[in-house]
Amino acid sequence: MTLLRRWRLSHLSLYRRLMIWLFCPLAMLVAIMLLQAWFASREAADRAFDRLLDAASLSIAEQVRWQQSRLWMDLPPSALEMLATDAEERVFYALYDAQGHFVTGNRSLPSLPPAGVGQMSYGDVLSRGMPLRLGVLRSRLEGWDRSDRFEVRVAQSREGRQALANQLFLASLVNIVIIAVLAMGVVLLSARFALEPLTRLRRAIRQRDPRTLAPLELALPRELAELRQALNELLARMRRVRANQERFIGDASHQLRTPLAGLSARAELAIRQSEPAAWREALVTMHGTATKTARLAGQLLSMTRLNNPEAAPARRSVDLAALAQRCVRESFARHHRHGIDLGVEVPDHPVMVPATDWQLEEALNNLIENAALYGARQITVKVTDAPTRLIVTDDGPGIPESQRLLVLRPFHRGQETGDGTGLGLAIVDSIARAHDTRLLLQTANPDHPERPGLCVVLIFPTDN
Amino acid sequence: MRRPDFSHRQLKLPRGVQRLGVVWLALTLALTAQAQARTLHFAADTEPSRALTIYGVLDAPQVRPLLADFHRRHPDITIDYHNLETLALHARVLQERDAPRADVIMSPAMPWQYQLANEGLSSTVDSPAAADWPSWARWRQELFGFTFEPIVMVYRRDLARHMTPPESHADLLSLLRQRPRMLDQRVVTYDPRRSGAGYTYAIEDARISARYWDLVEALGNSHSALETTTAAMLEGLSQGRYWIGYNLIGSYVQDYVAEHPELVMVVPQDYALVLQRLVMMSRDAPHPDTARRFIDYLLSASAQRLLATQTTLGAVHPSVDGAGTAADLRDRLGEAIRPVQIGPGLLATLDTLKRQTLLEQWQQAFDNRPTHADGPLADPSPLPDAATE
Repeated sequence: MTLLRRWRLSHLSLYRRLMIWLFCPLAMLVAIMLLQAWFASREAADRAFDRLLDAASLSIAEQVRWQQSRLWMDLPPSALEMLATDAEERVFYALYDAQGHFVTGNRSLPSLPPAGVGQMSYGDVLSRGMPLRLGVLRSRLEGWDRSDRFEVRVAQSREGRQALANQLFLASLVNIVIIAVLAMGVVLLSARFALEPLTRLRRAIRQRDPRTLAPLELALPRELAELRQALNELLARMRRVRANQERFIGDASHQLRTPLAGLSARAELAIRQSEPAAWREALVTMHGTATKTARLAGQLLSMTRLNNPEAAPARRSVDLAALAQRCVRESFARHHRHGIDLGVEVPDHPVMVPATDWQLEEALNNLIENAALYGARQITVKVTDAPTRLIVTDDGPGIPESQRLLVLRPFHRGQETGDGTGLGLAIVDSIARAHDTRLLLQTANPDHPERPGLCVVLIFPTDN
Repeated sequence: MRRPDFSHRQLKLPRGVQRLGVVWLALTLALTAQAQARTLHFAADTEPSRALTIYGVLDAPQVRPLLADFHRRHPDITIDYHNLETLALHARVLQERDAPRADVIMSPAMPWQYQLANEGLSSTVDSPAAADWPSWARWRQELFGFTFEPIVMVYRRDLARHMTPPESHADLLSLLRQRPRMLDQRVVTYDPRRSGAGYTYAIEDARISARYWDLVEALGNSHSALETTTAAMLEGLSQGRYWIGYNLIGSYVQDYVAEHPELVMVVPQDYALVLQRLVMMSRDAPHPDTARRFIDYLLSASAQRLLATQTTLGAVHPSVDGAGTAADLRDRLGEAIRPVQIGPGLLATLDTLKRQTLLEQWQQAFDNRPTHADGPLADPSPLPDAATE
């Protein structure tokens, strides 16, 4: 089990994987070949030596005749000598009549089931503890007066066959070993060659300047070229992200520099004046600018947090109605002071959506804030069920249709007047994207051309 | 295998025993002198002793020097030698096949001995001496031909006054054809029907030359005498009843001729059959270690030299030369030497139908009958002892 797990470990090197997948079948192949060679050599030896049994029994059968009212045979010594090769086998023979009675021989030998017509049958038998190869020839007398059937059975011990089989097997063994060694060499070499582009790719990646995001230019085989392409695509995305980040940082710096420069100039002007009334006026202005700048910095911070893909917060089930009521309650007093009518309309049952609550709160606050900043006098927050929507409607100047996409970009303001940071709708857009919701900008009151108002709708996906 | 002068030698035994410093014991007092001669016993000189039991077809005078020399080299081995008739030996080995009592079996009846080995009753002797043994004189590492005994012709010295004495099979055939009247009843040979040895030689002769049948016919024409032992033939030759003897066992003739100067031994020039005594170690021998040592000794140059000099059996070992060795015979006769091949061909010799066929053919040739007119040949009597000459 542990061994299996170790084998499955993904960090097993490609080279080892290749070795295992090539050598295991190779070893099995060699084993099969050896087994086959072993049986083939035994069979070949048996075939060769069975011819001797064949020849000997034929030569004995030729001498069988009918004489003195019985089967008769003048046993030729050469027939027996034929059976003894260099291995000096033990030799046995017997003649049986049609009824299976022993006529003559030097040992009683068993019969064998008949093979084809006119063919000898061969078999391995154990006769008195001695393993023998037996051949049985069925024949009949060929005289004109009698045609009795008879059986010539000859047997020899197995030494010669064994020696020949071993010799044949040894020859095959040598061949197979040579082939196996060659195959192993080829496998080793080819695995090295096949993995060589991978080594090149690794070197190329290692040798790169860590700051560069330039695409990899390297001739590689097709499988690795795909990898290289994927890598280059990733690099391209990273280049775009970096460009965006650089632009954002540039914009952010620019946005921060302007109010700071204003602060500095206003302070300088106040220093030159000596009336406390002027100072107070300057301080009020500076306070306003500082507050705006602090909000800008806060929004920049949340923008950065939202855009950080590694800090995707977990979503929980959030009651949209409760969230809308809470937000309105918290900011009601502040807006009421400025004479803004902030209202909320929610169904009387909870509307649950999977979301990150602080992000939704941030988006809602931004929308209310945005509407207030651009001169709305009436802001309505509405939550509807089926479809689940969060709607913020105001009676402000609205955004012309041509500007509606542009305002979603950071630092783009619908109009230069007003105290907006240019980030509010961008943040809302980011949060909407993070929650897979559709963001719609509509005209709230198209019948009123001077104050058409803006209706921002967040449509949550229906889960099914 | 009874030697012709067996009882004569028997009387000399005790003196020889004392001279060799060997203890000669009769197994039981009840045994006759002849029965005593069937067993030789050499007690070990040291303790602990090991045993060695040998079954052989070799009389005391031939085997004694061999055993004595082995005993001198291995004094820790107690040797029991049982001298048996060939067929008795064969029967006894088969009877004891599951629990053999003999460690070593020696026999000159080559087909019978080969049959035992082929049956798997022998076991492998894997010593360097056994591996180096000439391949024509052994079968596997189990059966070893350790003697070299040509089959010879013998004629009376005074035959030369009447005709040129035969030097080959061809000579004998032409003599029989040219002088059938003069040689009538004067030639003696084995009766293959009654002698196992004679039958074995007939089969081998017939295999070597088709003219053997002409020879049998000529022998029949001159009414040759048929004996069953070499001893009987030699006796008849010595007494002058026969002039020429055909197919006698050389090792016996050599001894006999030395004491009977009126006889001459001839190793045929055209071809000479050579008989070998075959030795093997029993399968499941009770004392395989001593058995292996004894066979190793038999195949050693020193034992072979002893065979060549102190016996008439003839040595096989290639490094031993001089009179009475295979090397000497080969030098003199070259290609004409035909040792009986130790191989499965010997099994054919023992085939009952084969034997009937050959004997029938022999009978026809000897009787000069073109066909067997007197009906089917009766089954021959059971094979007589191959080496009871």
